[in-house]
Amino acid sequence: MSTVPSAPSAVQAVLARNKLGTFSLLHFSLTAATPLTVIAGGVVVMFALAGEIGIPLGYLIIAVCLWLFSVGYTTMSRHITNAGAFYAFIARGIGRVPGVAAAWVAATAYCAMQISLYGLLGLTAESVLARMGLDASWWVCALVAWLLIGLLGTRAVDINAKVLAILLAVEIAVILLFSVSNFANAADGLPLAAMSPSTLGGEAAGAMLALAVTGFIGFESPTVYGEEAKDRRRTVARATLATVGILAFIYIASSWSIIAAVGADGVVDAAIADPSLMFTLAGDQLGAPWAVIGEVMLLTSVTAAALSFHNTTARYLFALGRERVAPAWLGRTSPRTSSPVTASLTQTVVSGAVIIAWAALGLDPLVHLFYYMSTSAGIGLLALIATCAVAVIVYFARDRRGESLWATRIAPVFAVVALLWVLYLSVLHFHTLLGVEKGSTLPVLVPILFAVLALLGAGWGAYLKRGRPEVYAGIGHGAKAALVTETSEPVGVAGGR
Amino acid sequence: MPDVPSTRLVYDALLVTSLDDAYKPATGPRVTGLGIGAALLAELVLSQHVVVWAAKGVDLLCFDERFRPPEDSLALWLVEHVRAERTALGVRDWLEFLSAADVYTKTAEHMAMLGLMVRHEYRSRWTRRVEHGYEPSDALFANAVFSRLRRQLSLAERQTSVEDAYLLGLTAAVGLSKPLFYQLPPGVHVYAEKQRQSLPAPLRALLAHLAAAVADTAITGGR
Repeated sequence: MSTVPSAPSAVQAVLARNKLGTFSLLHFSLTAATPLTVIAGGVVVMFALAGEIGIPLGYLIIAVCLWLFSVGYTTMSRHITNAGAFYAFIARGIGRVPGVAAAWVAATAYCAMQISLYGLLGLTAESVLARMGLDASWWVCALVAWLLIGLLGTRAVDINAKVLAILLAVEIAVILLFSVSNFANAADGLPLAAMSPSTLGGEAAGAMLALAVTGFIGFESPTVYGEEAKDRRRTVARATLATVGILAFIYIASSWSIIAAVGADGVVDAAIADPSLMFTLAGDQLGAPWAVIGEVMLLTSVTAAALSFHNTTARYLFALGRERVAPAWLGRTSPRTSSPVTASLTQTVVSGAVIIAWAALGLDPLVHLFYYMSTSAGIGLLALIATCAVAVIVYFARDRRGESLWATRIAPVFAVVALLWVLYLSVLHFHTLLGVEKGSTLPVLVPILFAVLALLGAGWGAYLKRGRPEVYAGIGHGAKAALVTETSEPVGVAGGR
Repeated sequence: MPDVPSTRLVYDALLVTSLDDAYKPATGPRVTGLGIGAALLAELVLSQHVVVWAAKGVDLLCFDERFRPPEDSLALWLVEHVRAERTALGVRDWLEFLSAADVYTKTAEHMAMLGLMVRHEYRSRWTRRVEHGYEPSDALFANAVFSRLRRQLSLAERQTSVEDAYLLGLTAAVGLSKPLFYQLPPGVHVYAEKQRQSLPAPLRALLAHLAAAVADTAITGGR
């Protein structure tokens, strides 16, 4: 006998109306990534500094690593609340003390990533203004953008999301147009040699992989909306995997297209001679105005990227403030806009100080600010993702919670092995990026800095465990930290006073 | 001088969250809805029409077996919804529902019927469409709740009522601590926290859910 499904109640109908589907989550994660910045900003500089053509292969390797990682990551996100931040997974999987260590590394890495974008932003704005006959140094342009981002960051995020969505649609269209044009005007046909494993055999492979990771940051954001997803089991996983797939396709196709257009033998020299190589190619193939359009789009893309990372960093600091792992004032919201206002202002102050310091010291905005700092942040984020992959294994080692062997054991183990290998290469080859000899002290400083941060974080976590157990109990719960402390006491029947 | 009398928890919550000194919304629409919703739930908990029940780590809202309908239509509307659910929903679901169901307008209309608020129409500056809003019928009444809370904080030795202790916690949970504590002695934070801790466990749970919902709004952008 078949049963007629009963209609949902009025309450459930209202709640269901506000639930998010795969496309909505995809929108949030893709707007957190800004592909033109990665392609026009990062890839050309990578060709120039690394001196190798294995960049498309690097993106492919990172995409596979992140796909393997996402399988276990999204599975674990179904079982924990506040599944929005890597450190929360680490706190729930390995323990609260490692969770605090990860939180400190994460906050620093995201902060550095956001600040690095001001170098590229200032330089691109300087170039666009120069085309218009205006003369402004990079740091003046960067400070103007810094002010704009600082203001937008304290406003409601939905305004930002709409702006980001429009920019994203236009920039993906421009990238695809330029890529098709590059392939159509290939110098020596399709350069299959670029996908050969030997192209990643050099001393710069690790640095390339570290920078490739930064292009995908934002893929983790669908888990933030896990509790608001229509189908928590499938929607978040679909959106996360689709984000990795779409970004991988764009990055591989466009970086490969640059090699195709210039030729495998000449692309490194061309990138060294012309940091705006992608737009020069577009200008040659499609007409001069397209080079200008591309550069203007890069400016808006980097601004969007800086805004996106600003919001991500602010939310990270906010969640840590709410948990009292960081100072509690970071957990304050703006009552009117509901944005994490003090965390946002903190990020603004730190980034402003770095821009001024870089300008005062006369450092190069492209190499010393954008490339060095974003690659350093990439190493921190790689370490974070690798540790999170370990946390997934440990979490499901205790209890598989009815999930498949593939999602709880096999994929996470592959992900840990692959990510640790990539991390090892990144640290090993970091000296090539800095242009110093192998064995120098300088390249070791970045991993040491992150290690010190992790140790300090772990020390703080250990102090909280002994000195402030109520704060310690809420670690890894972010916005819901207050609930953890409250629900440790029985609620029982209400009404009594 | 006697305190300005408390009208009703849900009305007080509306005045605190939806009006600042310039009669502009003190909090965003979503947070306002969450705050008023939390006040309405607290009223029903205090009047023993609903209970908060912790089951498997989730705080559920259930109706009291000794059910008797509330006399007030706003409370009745919510209690009927609670009764209509075949399985008990979590406190967080009810807060989300109340915010999405525009509990602000329902409460404001309720207050307008009692002469506490005035419904007015205005033309939108951008869309030129006629829209409607609510304003307190009296300026003193509009600021009375906030003034009462600040006065109680400044006279920290006095024991506040459960309703006002809850309202203090609610004001902090929706992010209005700064105007609430503005220019008051530093010790008021401790006093306010003690008041919150003195609340019955179900009310503390409601406040914790409200604070979590507001924080989630900041993290997810209120979408």
